[in-house]
Amino acid sequence: MEANAHPQPRYILIWGILLVLTLAEVGYAFMDLPKIVLAIGLIAMAVWKALMVALYYMHLRYEPRRMWILAASPLPLAVILVVAVLTEF
Amino acid sequence: MSTAQLVSSLEGEDRSQPGYAGEGQHDISFIRKYIFSTDHKTIGKQFLFLSLFFLVVGGALAGLMRWQLGFPGQPLPGGGVLPDTMAPGGIILPEFYNSLVTMHGTIMVFFAIMPLLVGVFGNLLIPLQIGAPDMAFPKLNMMSFWLAVPAGAVMLASFFVEGGAAGAGWTSYAPLSTSGEWTGVYLGQQLWLASLIIMGFSSLTGAVNYITTVINMRAPGMTWFRIPLPTWSLFITAILILLAIPILTGGLIMLLFDQTIGTTFFIPAGSGEPLLWQHVFWFFGHPEVYILILPAMGIVSEVLACRARKPIFGYHAMVLAMIAIAFLGWIVWGHHMFQSGMNPMLGTTFMISTVVIAVPSAIKTFNWLGTLWRGDIHFDTPMLHALSFVSMFIIGGLSGIFMASAPVDMYFHDTYFIVAHIHYVLFGGSLFGIFAGITFWFPKMFGRMMGEGLGKIHFGLTFIFYNMVFFPMHNLGVQGMMRRIYDPNEYEFLRPLQEMNTFISISVFLLVTTQFLFAFNFFWSMFKGRRAPANPWNSNTLEWTVPSPPAHGNFAVMPTVYRGPYEYSSPEVDADFYPQDQPPPGVGSGGHTASGPEPVPGA
Amino acid sequence: MNHSATAVMDNRHPMPGMQVYNLKLGMWIFLLSEVMFFTSLIGSYIILRFAHPEHWTQPGVILNVPLTAVNTFLLICSSVTMVKAFVAIEQGDQKGLKLWLLATILIGASFVGIQVVEYTKLIHEGFVPSFSAYAAEGGNLYGATFYLMTGFHGAHVTIGVLCLIFVLFRAMKGAYTAESYGGVEIIGLYWHFVDLVWIILFTIVYLL
Repeated sequence: MEANAHPQPRYILIWGILLVLTLAEVGYAFMDLPKIVLAIGLIAMAVWKALMVALYYMHLRYEPRRMWILAASPLPLAVILVVAVLTEF
Repeated sequence: MSTAQLVSSLEGEDRSQPGYAGEGQHDISFIRKYIFSTDHKTIGKQFLFLSLFFLVVGGALAGLMRWQLGFPGQPLPGGGVLPDTMAPGGIILPEFYNSLVTMHGTIMVFFAIMPLLVGVFGNLLIPLQIGAPDMAFPKLNMMSFWLAVPAGAVMLASFFVEGGAAGAGWTSYAPLSTSGEWTGVYLGQQLWLASLIIMGFSSLTGAVNYITTVINMRAPGMTWFRIPLPTWSLFITAILILLAIPILTGGLIMLLFDQTIGTTFFIPAGSGEPLLWQHVFWFFGHPEVYILILPAMGIVSEVLACRARKPIFGYHAMVLAMIAIAFLGWIVWGHHMFQSGMNPMLGTTFMISTVVIAVPSAIKTFNWLGTLWRGDIHFDTPMLHALSFVSMFIIGGLSGIFMASAPVDMYFHDTYFIVAHIHYVLFGGSLFGIFAGITFWFPKMFGRMMGEGLGKIHFGLTFIFYNMVFFPMHNLGVQGMMRRIYDPNEYEFLRPLQEMNTFISISVFLLVTTQFLFAFNFFWSMFKGRRAPANPWNSNTLEWTVPSPPAHGNFAVMPTVYRGPYEYSSPEVDADFYPQDQPPPGVGSGGHTASGPEPVPGA
Repeated sequence: MNHSATAVMDNRHPMPGMQVYNLKLGMWIFLLSEVMFFTSLIGSYIILRFAHPEHWTQPGVILNVPLTAVNTFLLICSSVTMVKAFVAIEQGDQKGLKLWLLATILIGASFVGIQVVEYTKLIHEGFVPSFSAYAAEGGNLYGATFYLMTGFHGAHVTIGVLCLIFVLFRAMKGAYTAESYGGVEIIGLYWHFVDLVWIILFTIVYLL
């Protein structure tokens, strides 16, 4: 296959970023910080990693725009369920 | 490598793309043709027989329940055949009554109405109406049916295990459902959970198939806003199934673990949260309600437009209303839980969103009426069922608005008013929609017409007896009779209602008996009915352009679509219908050849 | 991309749809339902934890974070090997495809192996999903949610490994080419999704 339909991302570089983020997460989790700061930082890093996987390894970045909408469609529902039920407790 | 090459090579690899009919038929063995078939039409018919069987089972359970309520404490005629664990001497035991209530609800929702609408019409109609040779994944489609069979078998088997079938209601509220200590049902409840998990996989594989097929396999010219409404409704339903069923599966698994390995997700004694089960169940459960009604709405829209010989009133509004219902359906689940001690702020939110959902529902209702207005109405069996769908849906919808209001719901909650409401929507709505669909597409399924006279008698009697059964239930509810109660006479204030209960029970027996007319008509017509032409109803959509029943692969050549599905009584042509694939005057007959119009990307 | 990947035969083109071929679209749609499945598990965990924070301990007290960090490292590596297998077959490199697939299978299987070791140790220490000494007042929501989420993730990894073995088996027979690699691509999507779920689970289960 001479011309690929999409450019090739630098998979090894992304692998490196994921590893660094994982180490950063483990280090950060044991720092002496307020719980809320810890939670926000950790979740931000986790979402960053998840996005890297989805965008580059799953090639979402190179899919048509309508695939993005499709892939994001269940996320609002997930948020609605958890947030609504959390108001109960 | 160019995209086109990639495309064609992938198709070479992908066996899930069968050729259109006429591209070389191959002989297939009896088993591959009728049992492990990958033809969507055969799978649709398999679902039809399976779910009609479960409809009979669910109806029989209802009959047993109504015997107890109509004639409490009296031995069931012929009830001696039931084992002593269910009805010693023909008198139904309270524990067995619990199982009857639970299993009637479960079987009707998951094994009768849902497969009838989604399994039967989804399979039969989607590829035919969008001009596709088959589903995107025919083998997955076969798997969908062959998962539903063991699920049903497990569900039925639970009647015969020690302790009997599940008895915690079809909603299986925790903590009642978490332990046999409360209901006396151990293994039965676990089988119930296992069966629904399997059934979930079945629905899921179906949904993946429907969505992929509708998105990717539409014939040239079949833009989104030319898709017939049944297919639209099934597409939206499939999205709801795809996203709602996994939530239920997660909840079922947790409940199963609570029962078997000692976790305490929903058991307050182990600091679990019973309310969490209710939220998980209804987050699935409310989209499920729309799964059970949207396809019927689509079927009825098709039948009304065709039999009134008029374009559907407000096609775009109909589609958008269905989409709106599907969206709003996700944020109203709490209205099932007003009595759970929910946070009042949350309760008010749910109340408002629930009332808002009446708007798209009303849009649909007025559009149906608008379709009928000054139409050339043909009162044949499918049309009668469709008309009765509209009127019964209005009653069921209006009583729904009563209960959407939290203060009113406090009073009606868990009474027969809710039983009346749900049956006006599920029987008066969905089941009449199913009857309309079966009678309308029977010729396409079996190549023969259904008996019209018997069909009309069946419709008339069903309509009368159905209202005799369910309308008085509103009154029972308002007077305070609780739902799922074994013997109302235990309560002083319910004793005056006994006569009404007896009346309802007798009406139920008449209603059930009437359905034998349908069964007889169905099987008689299947073998002895009048041979059906390709287009007996002079309908516009693509399934009527092929012979009845269509060959394997459906279309001899890929059809090209030139217009929307409801161009009835068009001034452009002499006939009162204008098939979707008929080329407009001046285009010639090029539509069936390779030179169809280029599709507009993104349309 | 002018035409849909579903363009079937010759010059007849159905509607363009999602502009990806059926198999890939089907896998994406299936993954959406997986998102909702894990939502129900993770959502229940969040809600139970908010309702009963006293059941949970500080991170690293009961669960073995270093071991799991190694496991996370493994799963991330397996994502790279998977994507390498995909790149290999895109370029028609049969040998590369088989080698990278084999590497992915081995790493995936080691992940499951380490998880089994972790489970065995924890259960041996008395950290079980049911009523146990760890709980503040009867029940052990910490254990129950832990085993629920990681267990179902582990099951997904196991199924992924089995599917990869099937794909490798087909690759041995030369079923995939530079022009036809749908099977490799969709198992890759599934595998990366499972990795993605683990990234979330590792953070919220082990580190928070």
